[in-house]
Amino acid sequence: MTVASHHQNFVRERQPLQAALTEMATAVLILDEDRQVEYVNASARELFMPVDPIGCTLSALFASCGVDGGDSLFAAVNVNAEPAQMRLRFSDERLLDGTLRQLSSGGFVLSMDDVTTYVHNAELAERDALTGLANRKALRDRLVERLAVAARTGQELAVLFVDLDRFKAINDTRGHLVGDALLRKVAERFKVSLRDGDVVARLGGDEFAIIQSDAPQPTAATALATRLVDLIGRAYAIDGQIMHIGASVGIAIAPKDGDEPDVLLKNADLALYRAKDAGRGCYRFFESGMDEQMQLRRSMEIDLRRALALKQLELVYQPQFDVASKAIIGFEALIRWHHPTHGIVMPGEFIPFAEEIGVISAIGEWVLRTACKQAATWPIPLSIAVNLSPMQFRGGNLAKTVMSALERSKLPAQRLELEITEGALLDYSDDVVNVLKLLRNLGVVVSMDDFGTGYSSIRNLQKNSFDKVKIDKSFIRGINTSVENQAIIRAITSLASTMRMKTLAEGVETEDELSSIRAAGCDQVQGYLTGRPLSAEAALTLIESAFLAQAA
Amino acid sequence: MSNDLYRLVYYSRNAIIGDAATLAAAITSILTWSQVNNQRVGITGALMFNSGCFAQVLEGSRSAVEDMFERIQQDDRHGDVSLLAFDPAPTRAFENWSMGFVGASIEDAARYGVLVQASGFDPARMTGEALFATLHGLAIEEEYSNNAV
Repeated sequence: MTVASHHQNFVRERQPLQAALTEMATAVLILDEDRQVEYVNASARELFMPVDPIGCTLSALFASCGVDGGDSLFAAVNVNAEPAQMRLRFSDERLLDGTLRQLSSGGFVLSMDDVTTYVHNAELAERDALTGLANRKALRDRLVERLAVAARTGQELAVLFVDLDRFKAINDTRGHLVGDALLRKVAERFKVSLRDGDVVARLGGDEFAIIQSDAPQPTAATALATRLVDLIGRAYAIDGQIMHIGASVGIAIAPKDGDEPDVLLKNADLALYRAKDAGRGCYRFFESGMDEQMQLRRSMEIDLRRALALKQLELVYQPQFDVASKAIIGFEALIRWHHPTHGIVMPGEFIPFAEEIGVISAIGEWVLRTACKQAATWPIPLSIAVNLSPMQFRGGNLAKTVMSALERSKLPAQRLELEITEGALLDYSDDVVNVLKLLRNLGVVVSMDDFGTGYSSIRNLQKNSFDKVKIDKSFIRGINTSVENQAIIRAITSLASTMRMKTLAEGVETEDELSSIRAAGCDQVQGYLTGRPLSAEAALTLIESAFLAQAA
Repeated sequence: MSNDLYRLVYYSRNAIIGDAATLAAAITSILTWSQVNNQRVGITGALMFNSGCFAQVLEGSRSAVEDMFERIQQDDRHGDVSLLAFDPAPTRAFENWSMGFVGASIEDAARYGVLVQASGFDPARMTGEALFATLHGLAIEEEYSNNAV
């Protein structure tokens, strides 16, 4: 082999190596013994743009892009004579993992890989993007670690589940931007409530969780829960408006309520459920037995969700009479649930539950359609009263459903009477007022149910211009002996007649009560005395006999 | 517009536990930091301590007032915060006060605060407007007497 051919071979071998070094994705800088850059590949040149690294010292180069740590890299290399590694943070948020090696030929080589996206993704996977708190996965990971430590040290550990009360309503009515701003403020309040070492996570929606370790339990969890309920319940000023939410807290403590992460999380959730059930804005500790009660609830929920499809719901009809003429004027439709094992379940028991699990709209619609269809078969045009749940006003479908029920049954709107409680007027009141207006324009009669209980605001009567007021049975009970009750009923009837509303006395059980309400000026009456709730067939029989009497 | 002028009025219950000196020191600290921070973000207003209650008026851009109120809400030194008013305001009423302390001197308020309850001033029973008017009136009095000296 000649010298010339040897040289050619050498060049041929070196060319791909040279190309690889120049073009590889890893940024490579070669420094001389004075730590001055003498070579950069394309990636490195790009990395430091617009600064030209050639001739700069590494410290100067790093300083130009806000990176600390050049000197410590060299120190590490010199001490160990092994490659030194360090994560470098550029002032523009780029992150690079750098490795500095001493070369056998003298000088150094620094290689750097851009890990910005990788690190960012890893952080994101651990963080809730909206609030910056830990996410569900990170919470569970931390809980596994903390439980392992607690098991070793024999210390207790608390998991707190926190739900925001009324957040959904604000999010729905004020929009997501306000809802998001509110969640960020809530996250800040969580942070100021915690000690170093506590972990707070947003589990999604308006659910948060905290791990509290290294603290005496249950005192520490009690103190934290009390503080959270107070702090989160304080008013928020957002977007020029004031809003109020509350916090409900459920607490489970390891190891007594479980030493497995998932058991502990589930038990904290059960305790949270209990706190919400207790009226929200409070905290509850997990207790054994909550699990069984929850299972019972779940099975009842399954049963109730199926009740409609399995035709276990039935309407019964309680007659209403005119006090003066004693003539029957209509019926109130009342719902019953024939449960396969519990027998007949009354609406007071299952309607609140139906509202909670969100099946009330379906049930309410069924009641409306069934009652209209039934009333349309009656030989005389009596009225049919149907109860509405406040929940049916949400979603904006109520007016449409009423119109459709009237249309399908061919029942004239004037014969349908919708009863709403004062509770419905409290939430969503503008929406409610508008829907009521629409319904009354159709000719539907609207009455206020259970008047005198709850928040009895006379302003409500004025604002909504009802057609009828149903006086709650608690005022009728004992009317004969109570001068106060008599005065109250007289006041209601005179107010109603001035405002051109009818009055109906509910729950009349004795002749004495009937004569008292007549004396007090009530127009109509409903109760066990004048007629108990009847099946559809029995109601029809009653109507037919009234029809015959009328004809005779 | 978040740059429009807003006014916020609240009162809250003192949660600082300690003797009159501790309380006076805490109020002085609250006031000092309010003045430092408020100047930076363009908030003016007045603070009063009476009957174991703080009453405060904040005025400034909407976002500055909201941020400040959020910080106040997170403060452990008081509780039962009742927000009485939060509305757009045509002009600043405390133009020259980054945060004035009105009413009795801090020391007197801290020492006799609880006793004053009997005299009938109870912020818990006042509307936002009345509380604002009270603080504003006291601020003007203070300014007048300072000028007179």
